[in-house]
Amino acid sequence: MGHGHHHHGHEGDTLPPAFDPAVPDEALTPGQLSRRSMLRRAGLLGAGLSAAGVLAGANPAAAAPTPPATAPTAAAAPPHRASGFLWLAGDHHIHTQYSNDGKYRVTDQVRQGARHGLDWMVITDHGNETHARIGVEKVNPDIREARAIHRDTLVFQGLEWNIPAAEHGTVFVHPGRNEVAVLKEFETSYDGGVRKATASTPANEALAIAGLHFLAEQVQRRKVKDVLMLANHPSREGVDSPHEIRAWRDAEPAIAVGMEGAPGHQAAGIEQKTGMGRARGLYDGSPGAHSFPGFPLEAYRTWGGFDWMTATVGGLWDSLLAEGKPWWITANSDSHNVYTDTAVRGGPASDYAANGKHTDPVYGGSVDLTEGDYWPGQYSRTHVGAEGFSYAAVMDGIRAGRVWVDHGQLISGLDVRVFDGRRWATLGGALHTARGREVTLTVDIALAGAPNWAGFVPRLARVDVIQGDVTGAVADQDTFTAPTAKVVRSYDTGGRTGTVRLTYSLGPVDRPLYLRLRGSDGNRSAAGLMGASVDPAGPAVDVVGDADPWRDLWFYSNPVWVLPS
Amino acid sequence: MTYVIGVDTGVRELPEADRQVHALADELNELALDDDVLFCTHLVRSGPFPHIAVSIALPLPDEAAARAAWLRLSAPGGAERGLALWSAREEDRPLTGWATDDRPPHDRPPHGRAPRDRPLRGPAALAGGAAVAAAEHGARTAGRAVRYPGHGALTGTLTVARLLATTAIERVTVIGAPGAPDRGTRLVTRGHVRPHWQAGRLTLATMPAAGGTLVPFEDPDPTRCCADHGVR
Repeated sequence: MGHGHHHHGHEGDTLPPAFDPAVPDEALTPGQLSRRSMLRRAGLLGAGLSAAGVLAGANPAAAAPTPPATAPTAAAAPPHRASGFLWLAGDHHIHTQYSNDGKYRVTDQVRQGARHGLDWMVITDHGNETHARIGVEKVNPDIREARAIHRDTLVFQGLEWNIPAAEHGTVFVHPGRNEVAVLKEFETSYDGGVRKATASTPANEALAIAGLHFLAEQVQRRKVKDVLMLANHPSREGVDSPHEIRAWRDAEPAIAVGMEGAPGHQAAGIEQKTGMGRARGLYDGSPGAHSFPGFPLEAYRTWGGFDWMTATVGGLWDSLLAEGKPWWITANSDSHNVYTDTAVRGGPASDYAANGKHTDPVYGGSVDLTEGDYWPGQYSRTHVGAEGFSYAAVMDGIRAGRVWVDHGQLISGLDVRVFDGRRWATLGGALHTARGREVTLTVDIALAGAPNWAGFVPRLARVDVIQGDVTGAVADQDTFTAPTAKVVRSYDTGGRTGTVRLTYSLGPVDRPLYLRLRGSDGNRSAAGLMGASVDPAGPAVDVVGDADPWRDLWFYSNPVWVLPS
Repeated sequence: MTYVIGVDTGVRELPEADRQVHALADELNELALDDDVLFCTHLVRSGPFPHIAVSIALPLPDEAAARAAWLRLSAPGGAERGLALWSAREEDRPLTGWATDDRPPHDRPPHGRAPRDRPLRGPAALAGGAAVAAAEHGARTAGRAVRYPGHGALTGTLTVARLLATTAIERVTVIGAPGAPDRGTRLVTRGHVRPHWQAGRLTLATMPAAGGTLVPFEDPDPTRCCADHGVR
């Protein structure tokens, strides 16, 4: 195994062998070598990685990005070394046989995720009475075993929390002695399903906030080293109201840090002949008694595979960013049952209620075309700029918002910097600059250099720069529009290969603003919901029963703020 | 003259509300009402708990006919119902003497006069929901139609033109597309067509679907939260 036993000590930040230029190719296992090849093709390996930033670095004399002044965030400290970040791909929304509607062993999901290029994963089985009683404990040895087998993959234990009065959310903890105890107590006391607290009532909304405070207390008391919460499929049923999202974030800004910009179940819209024939993302709900009355019908469907809150330029996400609130997006598989898999849930002996898990899957003898999920990493990826290869670094990177997401491996690398000639900031950060100083946005993109998991090399056709003013706190906590956000510049990247550098000059900046990026394969687009003058070529609504996810690929970045004073 | 009766039993989910609509239609059958009766569901987000109420718009010749419908729905067995009546003509409100329980409901309806002035009965919270439903339907500002003139013929696939010609639906919209669809566009009904009152017009929102067709926005069999769609 040679370097297969290379100790990267999950607490430290030693590189996994595939990432480590000091480890020669010959010393790698076939899996590590394959991983290294992917990194190399993406331009993510070599001197650029550990010494000078992931891609062409901006200013080596760069000063630290810091979060916006209006945002009392606990964002991670900036890198003290001049190097860039280690961009680690992951997925924080993965189910196993410990979910009532799940199927796979932990090891199935982890080896598939690792094979599909993920560096970190969160096991998030559904909160429910059985899971709180049995599964939350029983899954832990499986997770620890997966950690031991997959030394180059960080496997977190988490939970898919039924947020009281709202949707689901990922809650996950830094591994440690109390990881199970904290999750179990949290689930028992604060899961909306366990507590019969799913209705959209003020009392249940308060229970959600109490749950977040409980998590913060576990960190303060050093029961666990770290905790994060991210809202999953936020618009699916219209039950995550704008005021609830703001309340979670404001209650514990270091814990409740974001939401899925794109839900899982991305294969669910594949045509009936060869697929589930439903709505992409399984976003097929309608307004109900518990949904937020202000949401339009558009909110309940996906747009180019993305959730309406994120896909709408000038929509809910932008309204949070315009407040200066750090609130980040991710993209995950929500993998329960994988499209075209041949394994089926283990036979009639599977007694979830009694055992807290379904029995191991068995070979089903046919290809399953009736499911809508992908393996972790196969289609959806959340890329986190980490300061090292460790659980803590991934959590810090997510908290800092150094995150971009893509579908179908549309691009391989993304480096975003705003620079005023003296200092720079990147995703999730803020450039504090003098009023009137010229600011430039530089975007380096490593285009896809190899086939994706559908067997073709994705082509990036267009990149959009989205800009909005920071207008401060809103009076109405249910605000979900941001009138100044719009696409300010689009770049045609069609026909390009290798890496692409885009430069957008903001000119002298005299007011606080933020920028975020979005790119597309150019296959499907439509005027945005706020009008063509805001977003001339945004994602189109996904067609029911005819949404081939591989033919509609997008990437989205998190924002970076520019704050003149 | 159109009268709208709101009925509220505290139903939580849309499929249950649809079943209630059909049950209420059966109750009213004996009154030999014609096919113009329009049943809607309404989301009641205010009040002590979020739930769904039903409204029934009855085109009736006179107050006596409205009274017959009211009495039928108030009959024993309807004890745990909230009921409210809305009349199209302001001067006909309230239809005094009908209310057997004039406790004010938990909430006032968003439109028209306070429910206190209207015939109401039943537990306060449910009477309030019934008043919301009746007022929304009366003003045609909200309400999801389950049974409406022409609904029975909506099966299979038909053109938008035929839908508009043969049902009470007045307008068709497409999510993510401006304007109205071409009248020749085919709509795959999936046997489940639920238009909404929107600014006075019964409007069907649709989604683009496979083969250049449309489907009603509302999925007849939406994925249930944590549904075990993996079971076979």
